[in-house]
Amino acid sequence: MEEPENSSKINRRKFLSTGVRASVLIGIGGVAALVAKKAITGQTVWQLDPAKCIQCGRCATNCVLTPSAVKCVHVYAMCGYCDLCGGYFKPETKTLTTAAENQLCPTNAIKRKFIEDPFFEYTIDEPLCIGCGKCVKGCGSFGNGSLQLQVRHNICVNCNQCSIARNCPADAFSRVPLSQPYLLKQIAEEKKSPQSP
Amino acid sequence: MFKRLPTRYLLLIFILSAIVLLGWWFFYDPVKNFTVSIPGMDNRKKGAMAPGKPVIIGSEFKFYRASPDFPGTRWTNFRGPDFDNISKEPVRLIEKWGKSGPVILWKKSLGEGHAAPAVYDGKVYLLDYDETGKSDQLRCFLLSTGEELWRRGYKVHLKRNHGLSRTVPSVNAKFVLTIGPKCQVMCVNRVNGDFLWGLDLVREYGTEIPFWYTGQCPLLDNDTAIIAPGGKALLVAIDCNTGKKLWETPNPKTWKMSHSSVMPMTLDGKKMYVYFAIGGICGISASGGDKGKVLWETSEFAPSVIAPSPVILNDGKIFVTAGYGAGSALLQVTAKDGKYNIKVLQKYKPQEGLASEQQSPVFLNSYIYGIQPKDAGSLRNQFVCYKADDCKKDLMSSGKTNRFGLGPYIVADGKFFILNDDGEMTIARVTPSRFTVLDKTRIIDGQDSWGPIAITGGFLLMRDSKQMVCIDIKAH
Repeated sequence: MEEPENSSKINRRKFLSTGVRASVLIGIGGVAALVAKKAITGQTVWQLDPAKCIQCGRCATNCVLTPSAVKCVHVYAMCGYCDLCGGYFKPETKTLTTAAENQLCPTNAIKRKFIEDPFFEYTIDEPLCIGCGKCVKGCGSFGNGSLQLQVRHNICVNCNQCSIARNCPADAFSRVPLSQPYLLKQIAEEKKSPQSP
Repeated sequence: MFKRLPTRYLLLIFILSAIVLLGWWFFYDPVKNFTVSIPGMDNRKKGAMAPGKPVIIGSEFKFYRASPDFPGTRWTNFRGPDFDNISKEPVRLIEKWGKSGPVILWKKSLGEGHAAPAVYDGKVYLLDYDETGKSDQLRCFLLSTGEELWRRGYKVHLKRNHGLSRTVPSVNAKFVLTIGPKCQVMCVNRVNGDFLWGLDLVREYGTEIPFWYTGQCPLLDNDTAIIAPGGKALLVAIDCNTGKKLWETPNPKTWKMSHSSVMPMTLDGKKMYVYFAIGGICGISASGGDKGKVLWETSEFAPSVIAPSPVILNDGKIFVTAGYGAGSALLQVTAKDGKYNIKVLQKYKPQEGLASEQQSPVFLNSYIYGIQPKDAGSLRNQFVCYKADDCKKDLMSSGKTNRFGLGPYIVADGKFFILNDDGEMTIARVTPSRFTVLDKTRIIDGQDSWGPIAITGGFLLMRDSKQMVCIDIKAH
């Protein structure tokens, strides 16, 4: 005589089978959640806010890299293309020529090029830039503020503890999403469309 | 014998290595990859700044309608009739903008720039730049309504360079005198705009157009036009009736034109013109038989860029200042037996005392008031007060919560009207010990509101980079 089948009773085979399925589902769910979380929050990188930066010079000396991963970035939309550029020339320079003694940059990292009367274009030679911020200070004091310091992410090693951030007196460093890695000051009309250097 | 061989080999290797190292040290050039920075690496072409085609000054004219004068309202030139930026008219003005905000009577679109108006008997004169027609245009409006009566101009091609226009005309009963961005001087009949004469300073005097175009406002001394061209002449006087040169001051030191304007001064009964050029500051005789003669000069304070005009103080003292880190100087002119001497009493950087980058400070009741530049340390962008005999000791500042920009400020009815870069106007009661904000409001939502303000008859004229407004500020 056969024993009546008890459908509510779980045998070992069924228990193991259900357990394995549940484990696989939990695993897949967990991985999916992690991927989703990463997609939503994203990775972060170090960046400095030019609006807070006081050009103290510590970016040049406190980075673990030599030369520093902080570089001067030129926001061309803000530049006046002036002959007398406060970011290029030392104050009180008498002759506006490219002679070394006239230049504010200690490493000749800013290149000046005549475009047409009366405009000159200024470009940054990044490998030469040490991130001292002298040009940024000059540009901010006497010009439109188009020269700004930024962490360059093709150079930065993204330390957990940024050495410059620890020593920044203006608290200008913060972590920003990798999707928007630059914090540039821009003229009012440009603010609507974020700009990359 | 074999035992000594390794030692010999070692010694030989050592000597050879030393020779190789010495050779490397001798021939190695550690700076071979360096680039020498010398003049001319910017590819600036010789003659790139040379004058273009001749400008036919005064060739364009449009007449809309005639209007009688309305006597009683005058702000005749840059810094007003007394060259001090103080309106002395007995008109009571508002202290608050009121619930409904400023009463804007009219508004005009202008070419981009900082040129500001002069007013004579109910008419406003402004040297605008017509960006579409590519021409300087002296425009005449009715002060009460803003209606344009006529405009006189000439074609001159300009490129945007921190604005286009930037001077204030000089006007009297007969003439209106202007200097355009590229140094074209024009004199017209004030009433109907008839062209009288023109002068191209670049062609006539070899003037070097200053950075960002001409900022010098012309001076009308009765029927005489006083212009500081630099180049071949430091100062020239021209008869406005005929356009003929009356006298000319030679310029052997080749001082250049600055953005500063010529300021009249009288010392011991002797009238003189004070000019702060690129190269130095000088006083030039304006009266007697030696008109045009340099009475005194100094190059002890000679910044490379100068925008503010000399501020004439009491007892022969003059305050001069400039931006771009130059700082300021307090000068003392003395006269003895018809001879004049100039002495620098103070000279300092902007962090050490009163300075200004763009606007000329105001001398009021023995004190000097101004706005500190961005490079003035902790007082940057603050409204400040200094005693006229010690410009390094600040008496009062507006505080960290009241910072201003490069905009103008003016005194009227005992109050300061201070304009911020973005079109916000502050009314303040200021004494040597206290800065009290009475009210402030945004007049126009613009930028670079740097053109000087004019106040007359209860009307205030101000501008941002692209528009001019007339506001009723009479206290009702």
